[in-house]
Amino acid sequence: MTRRGPLWRIPPDRGVDDELAGHMAELIKKYMADGLDETSARAKAAERFGDVSTVRDECSEIAHHIEDDMRKIEYAQELRQDVAYALRSFRRAPGFTLIAILTLAIGIGANTAIFSVVRSTLLRPLPYPNAEQLVQVWSDHRQRGREQPEWMTPPDFADWRDQNHTFSSMAAYQGWFPDLTSGGDPESLAGFLVSGDFFKTLGAAPALGRLLTTADDDPGVEPVVVLSHAFWERRFGGDSSVLRRVLTLDGLPYTVVGVLPKDFRTPMPVAADVFRATRRPANAGCGRGCVVLRVIGRLMPNATFAEAQSDLSDIASRIAKEYPASNDKVGAWLIPLHEQVTGTTKAALLALTGAVALVLLIGCVNLASLLLVRGAGRERELSVRAALGAGSGRIVRQLLTENAVLALAGGALGLLIGIGGSNTLGVLVPAGVRRVQEIHFDGGVLAFTAGITLLAGAIFGLLPALQTARGNFMGTLRNGGREMGPRGGTLRGRLVVPQLALAVVLLVGAGLLLRSFLLMERVDFGYRTEGVLFATVGLPQSRYPDAARIVGAMDGLLARIRANPSVRSAELVDEAPLTAGDQDITAIAVGEPAQGDHNNSIWYRAVTAGYMNEMHLHIVAGRTFTDADRAGGAMVGIVNEQAARRYWPGKDPIGRQLATSEAPDASKLTVVGVVNNARQDGPNQPYKSELFIPFSQLPSRGVTLVVEPSRDIAAATTAIRSALKATDAFVPAPHVVTIESLVGDTTELPKMYATLVGVFAAMAMLLAALGVYGVMAYTVSQRRREIGVRLALGAEPSAIRRAVLVQGGMLALLGVGIGLAAALLLGRALRALLFGVSAFDAPTFVIAPLLLGAMTLLASWIPAQRAMRVDPIIAIRDE
Amino acid sequence: MTTTAPNALVQGTLDLVILKTLSWGPRHGYAIARWIESTTDDALRIEEGSLYPALYRMQHRRWIAAEWGESHEGRRIKLYSLTPKGRTELRAQTARWGDCVVAMAKVLQSA
Repeated sequence: MTRRGPLWRIPPDRGVDDELAGHMAELIKKYMADGLDETSARAKAAERFGDVSTVRDECSEIAHHIEDDMRKIEYAQELRQDVAYALRSFRRAPGFTLIAILTLAIGIGANTAIFSVVRSTLLRPLPYPNAEQLVQVWSDHRQRGREQPEWMTPPDFADWRDQNHTFSSMAAYQGWFPDLTSGGDPESLAGFLVSGDFFKTLGAAPALGRLLTTADDDPGVEPVVVLSHAFWERRFGGDSSVLRRVLTLDGLPYTVVGVLPKDFRTPMPVAADVFRATRRPANAGCGRGCVVLRVIGRLMPNATFAEAQSDLSDIASRIAKEYPASNDKVGAWLIPLHEQVTGTTKAALLALTGAVALVLLIGCVNLASLLLVRGAGRERELSVRAALGAGSGRIVRQLLTENAVLALAGGALGLLIGIGGSNTLGVLVPAGVRRVQEIHFDGGVLAFTAGITLLAGAIFGLLPALQTARGNFMGTLRNGGREMGPRGGTLRGRLVVPQLALAVVLLVGAGLLLRSFLLMERVDFGYRTEGVLFATVGLPQSRYPDAARIVGAMDGLLARIRANPSVRSAELVDEAPLTAGDQDITAIAVGEPAQGDHNNSIWYRAVTAGYMNEMHLHIVAGRTFTDADRAGGAMVGIVNEQAARRYWPGKDPIGRQLATSEAPDASKLTVVGVVNNARQDGPNQPYKSELFIPFSQLPSRGVTLVVEPSRDIAAATTAIRSALKATDAFVPAPHVVTIESLVGDTTELPKMYATLVGVFAAMAMLLAALGVYGVMAYTVSQRRREIGVRLALGAEPSAIRRAVLVQGGMLALLGVGIGLAAALLLGRALRALLFGVSAFDAPTFVIAPLLLGAMTLLASWIPAQRAMRVDPIIAIRDE
Repeated sequence: MTTTAPNALVQGTLDLVILKTLSWGPRHGYAIARWIESTTDDALRIEEGSLYPALYRMQHRRWIAAEWGESHEGRRIKLYSLTPKGRTELRAQTARWGDCVVAMAKVLQSA
């Protein structure tokens, strides 16, 4: 009983046969010893034993089960051994382990965080039932020279809604900002006027009471409102007795009939407190000239987007023929609601996804490279294991286990980084989008993290494991572990090239975004971008029914504010710059030839006399407004340079007239001045034709006060609040912001994108530098003897250094070249995010490779210095 | 067939006999058969082939362990030995068997 081995080393079927045959042989021997001849002994043995083949079949089956169990146990044992071995070997190389895990964790964490944002915004449907059926419906004025989608007119909406064959419902809405003056402090609310089937179109159900229906559109029925869940909780403490309560909104009574569910989101970028039905016949008011409605529609289940588009286009062209005066060249423009909501975010998120993917990829390549070195350093250890009987499959498995342990550790840490990051990276998405598509971490993101961890493990682990296991272990052992097959070294050298190429791509992307952001920061807005406060004030219609009362109240308010010593000056404008406000009218130059296909829209603002001065807009020609430009006086206006050029090309616009339409009785105003062009909507927005009108000649209840503080912001804010209280105690306190914060908001996202991609590019560059350094240092250490011999034979040390640097330079050249080609192809993907630079921006495409080239040389410099200082005697003797 | 001989053991009883046999030390299949034969004066008269499925089953249940060894004549033999789990099983089955015998004795004596 000397040799004992694991049972399963003998194939189970053979084991059974041997065992049974052995039994029979002994039995026969026994009977023969008892005196029987062989034939009778065999017969007796067979009888005694029973049916051999049945026994054998039964035993083999069980034997196979036993073997399967054994294999599993052994596999688990080996895995435990491998993991323990891996942990031990990591403990022996803490520096390598730390770098590897951190590289992976940062890469995986960044990818996880960005993916959680992408998944929440781009990949998840909007929070409505069958959300893919929802589309935003716009008027198409592109043939009239207006590139942006245009809102709809009430009569057009009614026609489109009633005549289409592809929508199961279509609803219109517009902003509504009533003041609540009943029950408690007065409060300015945000809300929407909606057509009755608005909630039906979105597929919303009430949390309490009922929602609006088409019956509420009838001007004859009781006026009712529906509350948002947040407003209901904030103002009424979530009290269900709010139903049937009457709220005074803008001085009129509205009965509360319902509350929306907590998770209901309007598809608009702003939050809403209240909703009421439009209660207006579709053809009332300003008719087909007045673009006031935004429209959403729900496609019939069997209708395609293209069918709906052509359906509405047909209707639009019919209307255009019927009402050419208003609707000529007005088309239909459909945008899937998901695209409408997430719109501009997509390009940025895709760019960031690309950036983090590249960082992870470079990290993986770096790890592969590190592992190759590690593998080379461990050839001796692995040779010993091979000599002790481990097959090469077993060694590959051991190495893969080590890599899997690394990947898992990196993935777990990355997951933590990703969860933290997904909370903070929400700011990558405009608040308006985040309001509809909330960003959170879910199972899908977890699966993604697991997936990229596996993928990363495969990318960085497989190649080095195979490479190492393929090495000639026995040869290594004989050579005392000194000889290194050339393959590992070359492979590492080649791995640097993709690293450098990927880093170039990232660097170019970061460069383009950074240049865009810097250009945007330097843009001249055309007006002051610091030192004033904006305060929005809204007067209720009930107490300020006419122009005289509005102007009186505003004059009084401004006088009170100006009288306060903490204020230097105060003016007002109906729509402040850099806010979402946007109003335009059709204007025609009186006595000038028709503008042909030109778009006759002009964007207008009503301002007080000192507004231009206050905002540092400068008058280019003519005069600014004075207090003499009052209601009842001659109607006057100031146009900007762009409008002057468009309406009166080559002529002096001063004293000429603009009419608000072609109608003979249209109101006309006389141009008294020209003001400079200004970027009213932000640094990356184009100039528009603009018209300024004296506030007293076109007053409105909602205005923005523009106040320059003489001391600090807080004192000026208090001054504004107390002046408003003295003017009308029932007007809600104004919301005050600095112009600096509004300006900052406009560049906030570009800044963030540039910063993030910049950080990723820096990481990529650092990783690539490490890669280059590693390869060069390794090459030098492998060539020590050769270098020593060359030095001994009289080579100049500087020539040795040059040779090393040239080698690094060649790698850099190759990597940078490939990277530049890739960047030229990929740069186009960034186009939507760029401002003022082309996707082929020459400086970026020059600086990025230079930067990387310099870095490569720097990373080669240290090994090159070391090569130069090799002591020939020591180098040769060491061998 | 294997277990339908006149004195065939009831299913399960064979397991107990094998466990008991192995409680004296590791044995191979043939030795187990001989031990049963000599201890019972061949009263049980089992078909020796039926030992093997029982042995494999008990090995699968981890009551007994098997390993390859070498006989005195240098032949490869498979040796079975009791595992701790098998020892526990042996105790439990022995107790159950004793209870059964006592119960049967009472039934038969009452007649």
